[in-house]
Amino acid sequence: MPMKRKIDWAIYAAFVVLVMLLPLVMDAFWLNRVAKYLVYGMLGVAVALSWGYAGILNLGQGLFFGAGAYMLAMSLKLASTTSLQQGSDKPVPDFMLWNAEPGAPTELCCINKASFLWLPFQSQWFGVAMGLILPVLLATILGTIVFRKRISGVFVSIITLALVLLVRLVVIDSQPVTNGFNGLTDLGWFNVAGLEFDPYIVPTYYLVAVSLSLVLVGTRLLIDTRSGLILQAVRDDQNRARYLGFDVPAYQTFFFAVSAAIAGFAGMLYVIVSEFASPTFMDLTFSITMVVWAAVGGRASILGACIGAILINTISATVSETEGFAEAWKAIIGLIFVLVVLYLPRGLAGLAHDFIDRLLARKPTASPQALPVSETSSQLAE
Amino acid sequence: MAQSALTIDGLSVDFEGFKAVNGVTMTVDDGELRVLLGANGAGKTTLMDLISGKTKSTDGRVYLHDTDITNWEEHKIARAGIGRKFQIPSVFKELTVRRNLEVASCKKPGVFANLRFGFGTDAERNVDEVLELIGLTEEQDRIAAYLSHGQTQWLELGLLITQNPKIILLDEPTAGMTQAETHKTSEIVNNLKGRHTIIVVEHDMAFVREIAERITVLHLGQVLAEGNVEQIENNPKVREAYLGSKGIS
Ligand SMILES: Nc1ncnc2c1ncn2[C@@H]1O[C@H](COP(=O)(O)OP(=O)(O)OP(=O)(O)O)[C@@H](O)[C@H]1O
Ligand SMILES: [Mg+2]
Repeated sequence: MPMKRKIDWAIYAAFVVLVMLLPLVMDAFWLNRVAKYLVYGMLGVAVALSWGYAGILNLGQGLFFGAGAYMLAMSLKLASTTSLQQGSDKPVPDFMLWNAEPGAPTELCCINKASFLWLPFQSQWFGVAMGLILPVLLATILGTIVFRKRISGVFVSIITLALVLLVRLVVIDSQPVTNGFNGLTDLGWFNVAGLEFDPYIVPTYYLVAVSLSLVLVGTRLLIDTRSGLILQAVRDDQNRARYLGFDVPAYQTFFFAVSAAIAGFAGMLYVIVSEFASPTFMDLTFSITMVVWAAVGGRASILGACIGAILINTISATVSETEGFAEAWKAIIGLIFVLVVLYLPRGLAGLAHDFIDRLLARKPTASPQALPVSETSSQLAE
Repeated sequence: MAQSALTIDGLSVDFEGFKAVNGVTMTVDDGELRVLLGANGAGKTTLMDLISGKTKSTDGRVYLHDTDITNWEEHKIARAGIGRKFQIPSVFKELTVRRNLEVASCKKPGVFANLRFGFGTDAERNVDEVLELIGLTEEQDRIAAYLSHGQTQWLELGLLITQNPKIILLDEPTAGMTQAETHKTSEIVNNLKGRHTIIVVEHDMAFVREIAERITVLHLGQVLAEGNVEQIENNPKVREAYLGSKGIS
């Protein structure tokens, strides 16, 4: 394995170890917070895969995140002991009860016209499965149409953007099944073989941390495959790839769907650590924020985008606790984004890569005097 | 007679009334190197577009050996054995030279078939050979975007050689090249002779003399003449068609 690859994997390993050690130094409150940021980091991975590697700037990644979140939240709502109608053997979510027509049967099957859709979600694992299947299905349908028609660039971005707004409206409008604007709150805990994932306990943190690590390594391995390389070729020049014989839309659709699956997975984890699902997940600002994280961290780096997301959110949280600085922070984030796009197109990861390249290049002449001062300073000035 | 690799039969395309290629019929033998000549706008690129599936024909047929490939999807035509170099050089700019060739060495078209690591020792050896042939061994770890114009053209040729199609279509492979670069390109192309059937569009007569066996001259979308270099240079119809445009030189 070439030196650079080794260093790359070493950095991945260091990141995973660091994430795994955090519970030693953090209290439950902060662990829960960091768990959320790790979920955002996973969204960074999803954006980097589709934007950096497939060349598809998805401005509606929130759609897949929201889809994953709602699917699991429906199951967890039905697992909540406090929000269900008491005294019936077939529990019904509270909001359905409050809005039920007079005389409607208080059964999940038929309390309103669409409530039967909730029936299979009585199984938590159905919710989990749907949290992956729905985003993948949506992405595959969308991708097949868009990429077969050879729509690319900014038009794909506009379509994804329009779609997330459309779905957000539909979710808000479907009050009887989604609780509309208020979203799904007062959820039960995710439960695996009796272990309840209270958001403020260490095992929940590890659920997120291990998930993120697996997604990171898995995605990295995926782009190391031949398909991952061909995907980058498609990003650089679709036509060239086509005339080498590759089924271009199949590559775009597949990786678009993988990116959607990661976002859906992140959505589910977010529901577990934050105990709600809301249409704000499909706000335009949220989808665009994800793009900013990836841009700052480095869209062409899976780990870079992930760290970008975690870093920005950690700084945001620290800063916005300082009185009067919260609003200014939003402006600062915007400014950072503009600066990164202009001067640091490969983001923080690009900086890190250049730094490693320099270290490697310097290695053969590793003696301290090897570089004259003027050269060092000119390198710094570059 | 040698077996024909590519048969074009009455091929036409109609761009809303304008026939850029109009009833072209020609046969290219297995292993032959055919040069397409013609003034600007004669329809040379369009003919290649029709063969490679970029443009759908409105009339006529294209056969690769005995397979009718008329108006297939591009990637299927490519898989059937037709490779193409574009007039504007196109390579995978953000990948290294070696990575570019590795992409071309993947023989399977689908995404699931390629979900595996590595390219195999045979493929890597083949990539080494191609690097040698196109003279980019030293540059193999450079990002393609930083190559010179000539090197980019050679890399694209390298993509084709790695892909190893039966028929190679080259659209002005020496455009924008210096004399030395042009000469090196003709060496590469000569090296491919016999292994592949090659169709080249070229304006540069010095280059044509270095490589050509048979020439087909296109004019206003139709075949004007066909023959060897000498016959074409002395053909009065060709002289007439070229007068007032670029002039055959
Ligand atoms: N898609 C299209 N729609 C309309 N007209 C077209 C189209 N493609 C090509 N043409 C026209 O067909 C004619 C032949 O073009 P073509 O590019 O094949 O010429 P060429 O022989 O390759 O010329 P050059 O030497 O300049 O590359 C030109 O007049 C061109 O404007
Ligand atoms: Mg042309």
